[in-house]
Amino acid sequence: MSATALLGFEDRPVEPARASRCGAEILLQALEAEGVEVIFGLPGGANLPIYQHLPSSPIRHILVRHEQGAAHMADGYARTSGRVGVCLATSGPGALNLVTGLATAHFDSVPVVAITGQVATATIGTDAFQESDVIGSTMSVTKHSYQVQDARDLYAVVREAFQVARTGRPGAVLIDVPKDVQQQVVEGDSAEITRLRPHREPPPPAPELLDRAAQWLAGAHRPVILAGRGVAISRAEAALLELAQQIDAPVGTTLLGTGVFPADHPLALGLVGFMGTGYCNLAVSNCDSLLMVGMRADDRVTCRLDQFAPRARHIIHVNIDPAELGKTVAADCQIAADATWTIRALAGRVPPRRHPRWRAQIRAWRDRHPLRYPNNGKLQPQEVLAACYARRHPSDVVVADVGLNQIWAATAWTGDRAGTFLNSGGAGTMGFALPAALGAQAAAPDRRVWAICGEGGFVMTLQELATAVEARLPVKVVILNNGQLGMVRQFQDDFYGGIRSAVAHSVVPDFRLLASAFGCFSATVTCSGELDDALGSALEHPGPALVECRIDPEAGVYPIVPFGKGLAGFVECPVG
Amino acid sequence: MAANPSQPWRLVMVQAEDRSGILQRVTNCLARRGFQLFSCTVGQGPTDGLLTLWLRVGTGPQPVDQVTKQLAKLIDVVSVEDMTARAPVQWTTALVEIRRSGDEHDLEAALNHPGVQVVRHLESSVLAAIGGPPEQVEEILARIRRLPVIDWVVGRPLALGEHRAVASAAPSNQVMSGS
Repeated sequence: MSATALLGFEDRPVEPARASRCGAEILLQALEAEGVEVIFGLPGGANLPIYQHLPSSPIRHILVRHEQGAAHMADGYARTSGRVGVCLATSGPGALNLVTGLATAHFDSVPVVAITGQVATATIGTDAFQESDVIGSTMSVTKHSYQVQDARDLYAVVREAFQVARTGRPGAVLIDVPKDVQQQVVEGDSAEITRLRPHREPPPPAPELLDRAAQWLAGAHRPVILAGRGVAISRAEAALLELAQQIDAPVGTTLLGTGVFPADHPLALGLVGFMGTGYCNLAVSNCDSLLMVGMRADDRVTCRLDQFAPRARHIIHVNIDPAELGKTVAADCQIAADATWTIRALAGRVPPRRHPRWRAQIRAWRDRHPLRYPNNGKLQPQEVLAACYARRHPSDVVVADVGLNQIWAATAWTGDRAGTFLNSGGAGTMGFALPAALGAQAAAPDRRVWAICGEGGFVMTLQELATAVEARLPVKVVILNNGQLGMVRQFQDDFYGGIRSAVAHSVVPDFRLLASAFGCFSATVTCSGELDDALGSALEHPGPALVECRIDPEAGVYPIVPFGKGLAGFVECPVG
Repeated sequence: MAANPSQPWRLVMVQAEDRSGILQRVTNCLARRGFQLFSCTVGQGPTDGLLTLWLRVGTGPQPVDQVTKQLAKLIDVVSVEDMTARAPVQWTTALVEIRRSGDEHDLEAALNHPGVQVVRHLESSVLAAIGGPPEQVEEILARIRRLPVIDWVVGRPLALGEHRAVASAAPSNQVMSGS
């Protein structure tokens, strides 16, 4: 038997025959066939054949200022549109500049296809100019990668790459195309046949497994549901809401799950984990049945693993990726399946339940451990975010950067729609917000897109303000400027003996001048009384706008679980 | 790196498409997840286009099923089976060159074993091939080590498990035992 037959390759005609095409044309044609609308990229020596033919393609190209920005933009595009994001770079440093962005997307299960130029096949391995082993360099941050050796394979490789990126647990895929392959002319219809490897679905969960999980949920007196980004990927928000209401189970969310459950719902527990709400962490620590769905249960969620959900008699873990099951939390019931399918299957098996005592207990915890911040006369980040969110349309997309700003933005979140709050939850990539917001804006030109940043992360990718202006992507950037690497400073204060080391930014650019230099609207806020005017003007401005808010430099994130403690060991804001 | 005898290990059979870079993907996957690769034998199985890899993998603090689960996620991997408990037949081969020292008695005694075949007599040395289960080959090599050995090379074990249908790369859903 041949592997082709065993694996069920499909041989099928996909395109009408044409006399001859070069590899670059075949590549673009395959992208068009995948419905690609926009590519975020930067040209260089090894991808010029693609750029030579790009103007003839209906695909929009957005020229970035750094390849990392291209990967983050493709990521933001994919998270917002639900489609595969595409970025394009040249060989060598161009390709390697994508790595952080690909890791960011891959960690968060975002479907991104990166296309890199490569030196000609004859020079691969000779340390040629701008040669890099991008396949080896990206192996651990991609779901799969291809180096195309023959233009006749390009069409199939592109189609398969998209399939790999978006099926199962989505992720990043890289296609490396040597320059001579881009220029290779393929005669006749030899490029018209594609061989697609079929996506391998895991077997559906056994009915007994679902019955067992449903039985445990039905018998619970203190149930809790934790939901992650898998719920958003699966579009399972409505099913989740229905199940939670049906079994009267409070719902906490992971950082990446922010928005999958309405923030103002009586069953909402907010953020779980290291910097989660006190009442959510107490609920998880005291529940008797825990359903984790569409999430990984990493160390930021569990904190001290042997103290995670210690009173839970049953833990049910649902994730489409079988490898995530049992990796950290040894769940009693492990279901490798799609979130929507599983939640609906469980809802069909569990009778309505009510837990008035448990709900009252959680209300008491909520009253005793509310989110607090100091009232010291200085501008607090929560005030800024409240002002932003008050002006937010429900369909607006908010992209948080990484650090204190990310947790402030997540814990203050008021939205009720999945996919409207984006952040780098797995990789924790500073500099993510601005380029990802540009990608989101390209995906949703009719919606308003916000980027919430600290000044530390913003300066890592600020050159993309030029992209914003040039590509007419009117994102609204809000910088929470505390003049330091705030989360590191808080860790040093709280966990490293209070020795502040290399966290103060003694030089911070004048953001107002900086934004103006790129042609953006800009404003500065130093007290809460200035927020209205600045935000109002920024939102009225038709183009990109930047509002710098000079916040209390000592503001921190609370509650927080000290390293080595369980979820219930959280510490609250020292100033009530 | 040599296997640490005290470290738990698994014997894993991987079937993968014979594509460029597959060994790098497999070894990268194991290294990234903190698993130590003690040995790797690659062979052509009965299916054209598919490679069979036998991996002896040291497990660390991670749950042992992560070895198979993570390998199964590789796109080029068709199936993964943990063969540790299946008592597969293992076979090791070795080649050894021994210097003739005048007294052939010790040499003949050491090579007088059904698992040893002298493949070439040279003027100053003897080349022998050794084959058998790994423990038997180890025992023969221990005896030969006392002789004036010029060089030897020991292959990693080939293995074959009991015949069974090719398993899916996607692990099945499960309930933990005892729950």
